[in-house]
Amino acid sequence: MTVVDRRGLLAGTAMLLGGEIVAPLSRALAADTVPGFTASQAQFTPDQRALVTAISERIIPATDTPGATAAGVPGFIEMMLADWYAPQDRDDFLNGMGVIDGYSWTQHEKPFAVLTPEQQDAILTQATHFAGDFFNHCRQLTILGYYTSEIGCKQERVYVPVPGHYDGKYPYAQVRRVFSS
Amino acid sequence: MADYDFDAIVIGSGISGGWAAKELCEKGMKVLMLDRGRMVEHRKDYITEGKGPWQLAYRGNLPPAEADRDYIMAKWGGANLTAQTHFYNNDRLNPIDFENSKPFRWVRPNQVGGKSLIWGRVALRWSHIDFEANKRDGHGSPWPIDYDEIAPWYSYVESFAGIAGSKEGLPQLPDGEFQPPHPMNVAELWVKERLEKAIPGRKLISCRTANMTEDKPEQGRTRCQERNMCARGCSFGAYFSTQAVTLPAARKTGNLTLLSDQVVTNLEYDPKTKRVTGVRVVDANTKLAHVHRSRIVFLCASAMASTQILLNSRLPGSERSFADSSGMLGHYIMDHAFRTGFWGTVPDPALEPFITYGRRPNGVYIPRFRNLNGQDADADFVRGYGMQGAAGRGPAGARGFGAAMKEAMRGYGPWTIRFTAFAECLPYKDNTLSLNPKKLDRFGVPLAVFNVSFRDNEMKMMRDAALQGEAMMRAAGLTDVGSSNEEHVPGDAIHEMGGACMGEDPRTSVVNRWSQAHDAANLFVTDGSQMASTACVNPSMTFMALTARAADYAIKQAKAGAT
Repeated sequence: MTVVDRRGLLAGTAMLLGGEIVAPLSRALAADTVPGFTASQAQFTPDQRALVTAISERIIPATDTPGATAAGVPGFIEMMLADWYAPQDRDDFLNGMGVIDGYSWTQHEKPFAVLTPEQQDAILTQATHFAGDFFNHCRQLTILGYYTSEIGCKQERVYVPVPGHYDGKYPYAQVRRVFSS
Repeated sequence: MADYDFDAIVIGSGISGGWAAKELCEKGMKVLMLDRGRMVEHRKDYITEGKGPWQLAYRGNLPPAEADRDYIMAKWGGANLTAQTHFYNNDRLNPIDFENSKPFRWVRPNQVGGKSLIWGRVALRWSHIDFEANKRDGHGSPWPIDYDEIAPWYSYVESFAGIAGSKEGLPQLPDGEFQPPHPMNVAELWVKERLEKAIPGRKLISCRTANMTEDKPEQGRTRCQERNMCARGCSFGAYFSTQAVTLPAARKTGNLTLLSDQVVTNLEYDPKTKRVTGVRVVDANTKLAHVHRSRIVFLCASAMASTQILLNSRLPGSERSFADSSGMLGHYIMDHAFRTGFWGTVPDPALEPFITYGRRPNGVYIPRFRNLNGQDADADFVRGYGMQGAAGRGPAGARGFGAAMKEAMRGYGPWTIRFTAFAECLPYKDNTLSLNPKKLDRFGVPLAVFNVSFRDNEMKMMRDAALQGEAMMRAAGLTDVGSSNEEHVPGDAIHEMGGACMGEDPRTSVVNRWSQAHDAANLFVTDGSQMASTACVNPSMTFMALTARAADYAIKQAKAGAT
């Protein structure tokens, strides 16, 4: 790969994950799973899983293309927390989830996951103030998971596995989407 | 001949080893090619080729914990990407002496094909200026060869490998045997037009690359399909690799024996005849040792590994390598400094309607423009640098959340162009690779100790590159211009060179003008270790040319009974 690729990928990852690439976490791998596709062990309680599902779906909702849930983003986030993240970064994320849910209980006496989409959006808008770091973190992880998923690459974006040629002056109007890579 | 198992042994199967095997086999020699890594067959073993991000472990990014544990050096060269981690050395299992080394990133492959599978494919010739540099400014030992001597060999390897590029008529970047260049995109052409007008003599060109733009049906190779996933292996055979190009040619002769998983520990030597008499290997799986014998030996294990093997090739009772009568073995270790970048944004709304289709495997190049005709009056350094870059548009950044964000992310951000400068590193005698006899690896080889640093000249060049880079961006009319200077760690550019430098004088160099060891007429060292300087351009084409030339010489010598 060219140097530009190397630098771009590193910079891109850093950008997506919140400014710097987090410190390591040793994986505890289940012997019979291929690492890196699903969490090697459950990371979330059922309530946390419902919460992450609700938040990520509001960040990237189903529109004319499927949203975060259909794209498997909640499972991706669980895998990253379980197997990729350093313990401190994982705990920060889990704490941030708790703050969102706690806010929901104080405002609506219900968990975030069962609120209406409008109520959820209102809390997430507030969260950019009272839990800004978590919101950015969660948004970046959702974006990373969604646009690297098969749905994100093939339905939301345009996937051309073998382009065949290069066109350096291709009219955006012909595609009106982003080419996934 | 009856005493030999093979006419020739080629140690290493990367860019240099592949060429050595091809040339020697095609001239009728029975060749044994050895590689310390595992077997990788063309197409069959490209296990991540063509996969989308969702089909890659961790969506493509190795967990930092694993990268820090097993790929402490290799992660800087791409092992951190799960699509290609399997093509890199495990630095925990095969370490250097980290404790006693200055920071150095030895990014090693660990398979047949070596770095030819994962290289950046930039395919540039050295020039007169480069071969004359040591002689002119007195650094290092003078090259005993000139560009004119190598030019036909560049042509020879370019024609076979398939190089795409434009002819520019530049003395500092000689033209070669090129297929049509990969096209530049609309933003790169925009910058080119304005830059070349604003600063006469400055050039911005499509970077010459070993990704073909025309088919080579006679080699079973198809032109580049613009996927830009080269480092996973290419079943189209569109870029130069051992697997796609030199290995099939060598195999076709019926003269090649290829053994993987064979770790060469040292060469055996007879001081009476001054000849290498054997190549000792340890099988990476069984740990059993064996000595192979041949009439001639081509050492192509990579610059650092070849130097390490030579350093470990000592006569009983001697601490010194048989190949080190000059005292220069392991000295003059070099790499390009390259962690300096600059960038700008194209402000022209006329480019707004356009994006790029396809993923080009190369970028653009600004050839060296410093100290070309003697010393520039305003340069506080000798030699120069080149700049590699590309223009592109990323997806629009995320703002807010929800359906509006998703919709906005179907658009693109502005056209930006970014460059990285590659600076020539001077040859310093006290930049060394040595061995620590007290620490052995799992095959019994003393660990490599790196004592290499960039110096004042390299740092001044990098500062100048950032200044000049920003000035060029502004002169071309770009906005949001910036530059960065990160830590420069030797080895990082993966252009490591030196250790067994070429020279006329056996008292000050390790190999002669034919890449032949001064101390052993049947030993040829044709990879990056023979380089007496680095130039500022990427070195692989020069390794290819020097290897093909050395093979031609070795065969003629063998026929004449001289080796």
